[in-house]
Amino acid sequence: MKDKLTLKNIIFGLLICFLPLLMFGIDDFVAFLSQYGIYLGWPGGEYMLRIIVRAGVYMMLAVGLNIVCGFTGLLDLGYVCFYLIGGYTAGILMARLGVSYWFALPIAVLHGTLWGLLRGAPTLRLTGDYFAIVTFGFAELFFRIVRNEQWLVGAPNGQLRGIPSPTLFGITFNQNWHNYYHILILLILVVFITYRLQHSRVGRAWVAIREDEQAAESMGINVSRYKSLAFAVSAAIGGLSGAFIAQFQVNISAPFFEFWESILILCMVVLGGMGSIRGAMIGAAILGSLGEILRPGLIIPYQFGNPRYLIFGIILILLMRFRPGGLSLKKA
Amino acid sequence: MAQLLEQFINGLVLGGIYALIAVGYTMVYGIIQLINFAHGEIFMFGAYLALMLITVFNIPFWIALPASMLLCAMLGMLIDLVAYRPLRDAPRLSALITAIGISLVLQNLARMIWSARPQQFPTETLPGFFVSEVNIQTGEILNAIPLPGGGILPYRDVFILLLAIVLMIALNRLIHLTKIGKAMRACAQNRVASNLMGIRTNQVIAITFAIGSALGAVAGIMVGLSENITPTMGYYKGVAAFAAAVLGGIGNITGAMLGGIIIGLAEVLGAGYISGGYRLAIAYIIMIAVIVIRPSGLLGKSTATRA
Repeated sequence: MKDKLTLKNIIFGLLICFLPLLMFGIDDFVAFLSQYGIYLGWPGGEYMLRIIVRAGVYMMLAVGLNIVCGFTGLLDLGYVCFYLIGGYTAGILMARLGVSYWFALPIAVLHGTLWGLLRGAPTLRLTGDYFAIVTFGFAELFFRIVRNEQWLVGAPNGQLRGIPSPTLFGITFNQNWHNYYHILILLILVVFITYRLQHSRVGRAWVAIREDEQAAESMGINVSRYKSLAFAVSAAIGGLSGAFIAQFQVNISAPFFEFWESILILCMVVLGGMGSIRGAMIGAAILGSLGEILRPGLIIPYQFGNPRYLIFGIILILLMRFRPGGLSLKKA
Repeated sequence: MAQLLEQFINGLVLGGIYALIAVGYTMVYGIIQLINFAHGEIFMFGAYLALMLITVFNIPFWIALPASMLLCAMLGMLIDLVAYRPLRDAPRLSALITAIGISLVLQNLARMIWSARPQQFPTETLPGFFVSEVNIQTGEILNAIPLPGGGILPYRDVFILLLAIVLMIALNRLIHLTKIGKAMRACAQNRVASNLMGIRTNQVIAITFAIGSALGAVAGIMVGLSENITPTMGYYKGVAAFAAAVLGGIGNITGAMLGGIIIGLAEVLGAGYISGGYRLAIAYIIMIAVIVIRPSGLLGKSTATRA
């Protein structure tokens, strides 16, 4: 978040801008080497790009969750419900009603925001554990709705197939590098808005609420209004991520939005350090890609179960015990 | 009508199980104001440990039951010692996130040790009267009480319900009549003051975890008698039991028992007469409604906000 134009930042920025080219370059390089009988254990560039796009979605979700968890200090255990709402709103509009992506996206965001406000309204006076439990219950309800209501989704178990890719000026954005720039633009937008909010009157009010709600109220901060705003912004980001993932995944189903996904996002925020946008993004980049990187190494030897979550659990426990501020150097 | 009666009894049995789990949540919350998310996982471990003792070590059921209780009590105390005690003065969010972490670890550990495959207690290892059946040709009913209207009430369910009631009464007596019970009530009122009065609060908290976990283990075995044992059962049943604790008024043991029965009945009757797919959702809806409308629950003390 430094606006300095140092060499490091310029190289980093160029790397982000031309990452797909780099991936394809590496692909070509590997193909070139293989002509001479040299094989590197390098996964394909397309596969890497897919992992990176997915990590980008997690970054967006982590930034969104960070608004409620980090800034206002309320533990949200059901963030995945906005992701689900965004995903199914966009998915149903596009796959079943044939609406264009460019209309479905804002509708998904608005729908997410609406539910963020609806969920927020009765929970305004709750703090801590009770807020966490209500958010958890909400997410479970939505999960069950998409799993059970076949008339809505069109297939059992919330399976929604064949979500079309967005098109603009006759170009269909269905390549991985299209999605890479797509998520990059959305991510920059989200981070920009969140960053501006954090460093404004609103962000300071959120932090004041986190530190001491009663003191904040007595200083003239309208706690309900600022909390509602936090819920709305956070839910909007969730809806946006959902709408993106719907067209990226093509097929979505209910297990994609299970409770553990919320915990995974929470884990990312906690790992990076709650209350820091950069921390949330770093946490998401690590955990979002870690699962994929660990997949060949860990999951295939253990035929039973998914030890990924075991590692996430240990990360949560150790972080809370020894480093409650997360990886970022700020003390909590 | 006969179906309703049968469903009602099923609901009562499930409610008894929920009450046993809910007591564990509510006792811990009463003393250290922490939602012990790992409690559902301890309940699941109770079932798996008993299963392992019976199938792998060939231990009879009546010894495996208390042994599993003991092991789970130790597990509960271990979790408290390793994870919660160092965080006792940390922000409550930290303890809550730790609880979720432990829940994740235990659940996936169970999946690695015992696999995700649903399992059941082998019928031949259970005491004879647990296996009820109706002979269709002769109409003879084995190990069950016939109900008016053609239904049956298996002895197994009677046993579960009786055991739950006995344990509840025992717990109630323990809290109200013994010295450790008095210490627990003192800690629930004010931990710092009890410490100043010479109560070893850490020891009392450890014992609370042990009792809650042992009761959870019993509930796990009860569930294992009639349903499949899976690594995720702790999560699903745990949340429903937590809903029961909230409904009764968290921190209130009698409330947890009452809430357990209500949630159990609501779940079974709702699944039977509304929609099977929303079986667990009913517990969640009740829980959200209680938290939003009356956070103190049915029997809890009324406070403006719950911090």
